[in-house]
Amino acid sequence: MKAKSLRIFSLSAIVLAALAIQTGCKQGNGNQDYDLSKIDTVVTGTVTAELTDAPNVPKPLTYTSPKRVMVKLDVIEKVMNISDSSQYTFWTFGGHVPGKFIRVRQGDLVDFTLYNHPDSKLTHNIDLHAVTGPGGGAEASSTAPGQSTHFQFRALVPGLFIYHCATAPVPLHIANGMYGMILVEPQSGMPKVDKEYYVMQGDFYTKGKFDAPGLQDFDEEKALAENPDYVLFNGKVRSLVGKGALTAKVGQTVRLYVGNGGPNMVSSFHVIGEIFDKVYQEGGSEVNRGVQTTLIPSGGASIVDMKMEVPGTFVLVDHSIFRAFNKGAIGQLKVSGKEDPSIFKPIKN
Amino acid sequence: MAMKKNMIPLLLFFFLVACDSQPKSAFTGSVESKVSAVGTIPQESIFNLTDTFTTQDNKEVSLNQLEGKPTVMAMIFTHCTYACPRLTADVQNIEKKLGKKAEDVNFVLVSFDSERDFPTRLNEFKKEMFLDNNFTLLHGDDDAVRTLSVLLNVQFQKNSDGDFSHSNIISVLDKKGDLVFQKEGINADHTATLEQINDLLK
Amino acid sequence: MMIRNSAILIILFSFTFSTGFVGGERNYAEKKMVRIPGGNFTPFFRLPNSQPIHLKPFLMDETAVTNQEFLEFVKANPQWRRSRVNRLFADSNYLKYWESDLSVGEKNKVLYNSPVVYVSWFAARAYAKWRGKRLPSVAEWEMAGEARPLNTKYKKLTDLILAWYQKPNPKVLPPVKSTYKNAYGLYDMHGLVWEWTFDFNSFIKSGDSRANTQDELQLFCASSSLYVKDKDDYASFLRYSYRGSLKGNFCIGNLGFRCAKDLK
Repeated sequence: MKAKSLRIFSLSAIVLAALAIQTGCKQGNGNQDYDLSKIDTVVTGTVTAELTDAPNVPKPLTYTSPKRVMVKLDVIEKVMNISDSSQYTFWTFGGHVPGKFIRVRQGDLVDFTLYNHPDSKLTHNIDLHAVTGPGGGAEASSTAPGQSTHFQFRALVPGLFIYHCATAPVPLHIANGMYGMILVEPQSGMPKVDKEYYVMQGDFYTKGKFDAPGLQDFDEEKALAENPDYVLFNGKVRSLVGKGALTAKVGQTVRLYVGNGGPNMVSSFHVIGEIFDKVYQEGGSEVNRGVQTTLIPSGGASIVDMKMEVPGTFVLVDHSIFRAFNKGAIGQLKVSGKEDPSIFKPIKN
Repeated sequence: MAMKKNMIPLLLFFFLVACDSQPKSAFTGSVESKVSAVGTIPQESIFNLTDTFTTQDNKEVSLNQLEGKPTVMAMIFTHCTYACPRLTADVQNIEKKLGKKAEDVNFVLVSFDSERDFPTRLNEFKKEMFLDNNFTLLHGDDDAVRTLSVLLNVQFQKNSDGDFSHSNIISVLDKKGDLVFQKEGINADHTATLEQINDLLK
Repeated sequence: MMIRNSAILIILFSFTFSTGFVGGERNYAEKKMVRIPGGNFTPFFRLPNSQPIHLKPFLMDETAVTNQEFLEFVKANPQWRRSRVNRLFADSNYLKYWESDLSVGEKNKVLYNSPVVYVSWFAARAYAKWRGKRLPSVAEWEMAGEARPLNTKYKKLTDLILAWYQKPNPKVLPPVKSTYKNAYGLYDMHGLVWEWTFDFNSFIKSGDSRANTQDELQLFCASSSLYVKDKDDYASFLRYSYRGSLKGNFCIGNLGFRCAKDLK
């Protein structure tokens, strides 16, 4: 992941390549990308980060020098539907599962406040995998109900990172939905695409079976046995289906920022009927091309780009396929536009 | 509100009648002689703690007698074999680096161990560790020690063998007892600690 | 010292009479305390070679301290009124739901017999002292709280606790004795509010919970690492994490207290 870092990002964006040259040679030995003396770190001005709920992603960043970026996340415990008939007490970063998407730029100084809502029952904290520092921020952010904590970190390494609560017992906090993602754009920017979406997988363990009616308690035994009742995209059965489906037009390039909060399952992420043109492997800077299924570890992420050549409904799944068929790991990407029989056409007998 | 207004002349009265000119070194006065402090200590000052402690010289004191000099404070216990001697050495290093200015700073070590660290033992420890007279070692009862630990965000727990698990924190208080700086860890980098103390001495 | 404090107290006392009392009047009938037998207690976090802690028998309040009871304390101790309390000892949320300094308020009538919340550790400790009592230690509280529940649908205590932890705070805090009674005769040890303990800050944590179960030689004096009594006991983890995030002046909406006392 370290080796080719910025090179690949800048290769794909001719306009931004000029910028990359301006800020110095970013190629060759990857270590220099993360060496503070080699990246632009002079902070000019303060911005407040745009935070979005899945499946939306904050707009690409337009500033070209490091900023102080203010980020405030609220921890909210609340009952929501996990499926049509079942409710669950989710613990969230910002009121939804997954938590708010944060977008910053390499070299930014992130001024982070974690606020735990006064109605919370429990103490929470945050570990951002994008942080270089003790506990990823967890040590500095143990926050009792009604209180807030504050720390600052430098976004050193570009990539897509997950964040999660790391308060004991960590597995329970994650199992209840306490995860989200932070994107650190390289200083040369991300190649432009037409549509960006935020998808995050997670597994859930309830006393009742899949879609059993009523408020469901967490089932510790099932969680320890790693036997989930639900494997979901964006925290709810059918969240990306029907009205919630992702959309695009023929000819557009779609980028998915895909994370996996776990706590247990590793995702075999696949989009039925498409091939990923690019996969930023494990959310880092190494790009693989022409990929059918990409593995997203628990506590990890991946960025996939695909150009939509033909219309239709393309189905997002965890290709550990029982999860898609029986446990909810399914979503839709609906593409509208002109057919292209030279690429695909059904033939009647 | 009416109540508050009435209080002011009364507090002023206390302040005026009890004004004294004690030399401002650690715990030179007796507890009573510090009545002057009423009303002069800011709200957030650790000196608002009313519990009393006993020094290695068997003198009963309260923390507000530290007023007038910045204070470097750590909590330890003398039977500790690992962390506390090192933490104490860290405080000594801070003292050394201050040079002559160290005389204008209170160095205070407060023991967690209310059952073993009585003044005699504290005095022994002071000699064992070659602590000079800028240092004061304090014994307090369970209540006083726990309260101070809460104010200083120091975590500690007594184990069944009588020893303690504890966090290692060096705190800096300003002349009025406000907690202005803390550094956690043994053998930590105390550059910022020294900067803080030097600022307070200006 | 003593002379100074009592002088001020007397002065302040003379003013309290003019401000008048509103709401929740009732004399403090001696609150019922329950005898908790002593015994050996194994802390949840402990050193590998440490022996269980021996606890002497003690008395514990049957329920958490209520708003009504706390009001009496505030009336008698002006320095603990909302408008006068030192921020060092209670943050700005202190008793924030009360109507005024000396009144829980007519609109909060339903809360008179509910646990007082939004109180700091310092305030809880001062209350206990004023009643001639003290706060229970973590070990005492945990031991008392481990007793078997008498009248609940849950087979295991941990199920009851986990179910409560997973429900958001109720809009209106129910009164004491509204959850369950345990085998010692204590009410609501779990399921109503969190409770302050004397040595709440004894949980040695780095803030990052994952470090607690690993070798952390530098953090500890006596030995190498902390062990957890039962790593599947998620309820205890949650409780200790909560305690570990507190500071003495924090005032929180689901945090109250009850008192303990030595047996003579």
